[in-house]
Amino acid sequence: MALLELDQVTKRYGGIIAVNEATFSVEKGSITSLIGPNGAGKTTAFDTISGVIEVDGGKIRYAGKDITNLRPWAVTKLGIGRTFQVTRELGDMTVLENLAVAGVPNSFSSLLGGRIQKDEYDKAMEVLTFLGIEKLANELSKRLSYGQRKLLELAAVLMIEPDMILLDEPAGGVNPALLDRILDRIQAINDTGITFLIVEHNMDVVMRLSHSIVVMAHGQVLIQNTPEVVRNDERVLDAYLGEA
Amino acid sequence: MTDVRTPTPEAAVTSSEPNRSRWIVLAVVLAFVALLPFARWLESYNYVLQVGTIILMWVAMASSWNILGGYTGYTSLGHNVFFGIGAYVGGMLLVEAGISPFITAPLAGLVAMITGAIVGLITFRAKGPAFIISTIALLLVIFLLLDNWEYVGGANGLSLPLAPFELSWVKVPFYYGMLVSAVLAVLLGYRVAHSKMGLALRAIAADEVKAEVAGIDTRRFKLMAYALSAFFPGVVGAIWGYSLTYVRPTAFFAISVAAQFVLMSIIGGRGTVAGPVIGAAFIIMLNELSVTYLGGSEINLAFTGLIMVLALLFFPLGLVGTLRATNKLPGWLDWD
Ligand SMILES: Nc1ncnc2c1ncn2[C@@H]1O[C@H](COP(=O)(O)OP(=O)(O)O)[C@@H](O)[C@H]1O
Ligand SMILES: [Mg+2]
Repeated sequence: MALLELDQVTKRYGGIIAVNEATFSVEKGSITSLIGPNGAGKTTAFDTISGVIEVDGGKIRYAGKDITNLRPWAVTKLGIGRTFQVTRELGDMTVLENLAVAGVPNSFSSLLGGRIQKDEYDKAMEVLTFLGIEKLANELSKRLSYGQRKLLELAAVLMIEPDMILLDEPAGGVNPALLDRILDRIQAINDTGITFLIVEHNMDVVMRLSHSIVVMAHGQVLIQNTPEVVRNDERVLDAYLGEA
Repeated sequence: MTDVRTPTPEAAVTSSEPNRSRWIVLAVVLAFVALLPFARWLESYNYVLQVGTIILMWVAMASSWNILGGYTGYTSLGHNVFFGIGAYVGGMLLVEAGISPFITAPLAGLVAMITGAIVGLITFRAKGPAFIISTIALLLVIFLLLDNWEYVGGANGLSLPLAPFELSWVKVPFYYGMLVSAVLAVLLGYRVAHSKMGLALRAIAADEVKAEVAGIDTRRFKLMAYALSAFFPGVVGAIWGYSLTYVRPTAFFAISVAAQFVLMSIIGGRGTVAGPVIGAAFIIMLNELSVTYLGGSEINLAFTGLIMVLALLFFPLGLVGTLRATNKLPGWLDWD
């Protein structure tokens, strides 16, 4: 069953068609990868799904429900979490506070009670321990290293208890040891039934993790298929060679 | 902007249990402020009470501004709109219905609050400098509106009857009105800072897209911040208009009044709970001193300007913000 479906989604930036009638789907419980050369429209596709930008055309469905152009917070509350290619942390807030933001109710009732409840603290510490960064709990997030920020992004997503996680280049620029840890954690999370859509450039990683691969180039979806098929598809080779 | 002290896990959970000595110092200061009207032997009793009233009024207003301008990171240069609206609501109800502004002040605050939410719907279409400019534009629009609305007296404004208090005590109710407003406004600022709402507002100040993706309905929180920040300026506006015995557009809607909100919070430390309190006291006393010793001339303006520049040079995050960032903030001033 498709958990997420993009149907003819289009997004223009002035003259540029960043995403051009893109159609693909993500099976429930799968790890699906979204690949393609730089500028193919992968991040823009993420932005349309998470509601960060509005589409110019097409439909996005999640669990059978139309979520096209929903506000980002509403998409998040439906259980879709995302990370950013260029990490965004709430710099003047501690790692714990970054995570506690997930527990804020969207109403005046947020005025009652303390910043972080005991159960939220426990949950945050559990997530941080799972990712191996529990020692950073009280560090200001702007003081974290690049790799630590990547982990914080993932931690923040886990705090919303997502059913689906969108990762934008989780392995981009991290050292091999950390890369292994991140891949291992993704696998572990996926084993609990959580669905992934991952943008990644590292082909080893993509081939190893993915159940399904979507290839984009120039805003268009070229093909969606299993790693074996995609690996040998001529259009995919062309897209990458054309780029080089 | 604000550099937040790193809490221990326990402090993070229990939202920092304040220590004992802090409460003692604060209780002494508050007792002193509360008993001031009884010090009638003071040589310049009326003057002291008047300055005290103004400081307390500005504590209430700067603390309120800080919810929007400090925690949320949206600089409003038109917050005196709510001060003025409060004054008009209080004044009109006094003139038309004969109800004392001391009674209608909360209602004035409520009207200001609703206005704040409506205004937010318009001004929040912009961010950064464009937001600031839209708040100034709003100030001008409201000014022009009231300046030309004959029902509320046009440019002449409203003349209010004198408060029916005995002459030698006439300043005292106003002083206490401002004191109660100031204490409640600071408590509101404290509550916001120590609640999940404060977390959401700080997230918005840091990165609005990230906050939204984390599940924060940023539009709603910004409107709530705008509304909350408008309440006490409305309340003290009603009381202040009564003490002036007139409500005139120029007395409330001047851009120099708008600038005070910003200056006090920045000098004291925007985004901190104690900052606006310190900033309000500092700036009002500085104004009074320079008027006393330098006269109401341009020298006095140059002097206060110079002091403020020096203050920001040595305390770039404001007095409270900078002291805390360097771990020199005395415990009794650390309310965050
Ligand atoms: N905010 C933006 N404004 C203008 N053009 C943009 C913006 N974001 C992306 N683009 C353009 O859209 C295209 C797709 O970009 P992007 O989605 O970031 O690609 P990818 O993530 O696949 O590398 C590129 O040509 C890029 O320059
Ligand atoms: Mg990208």
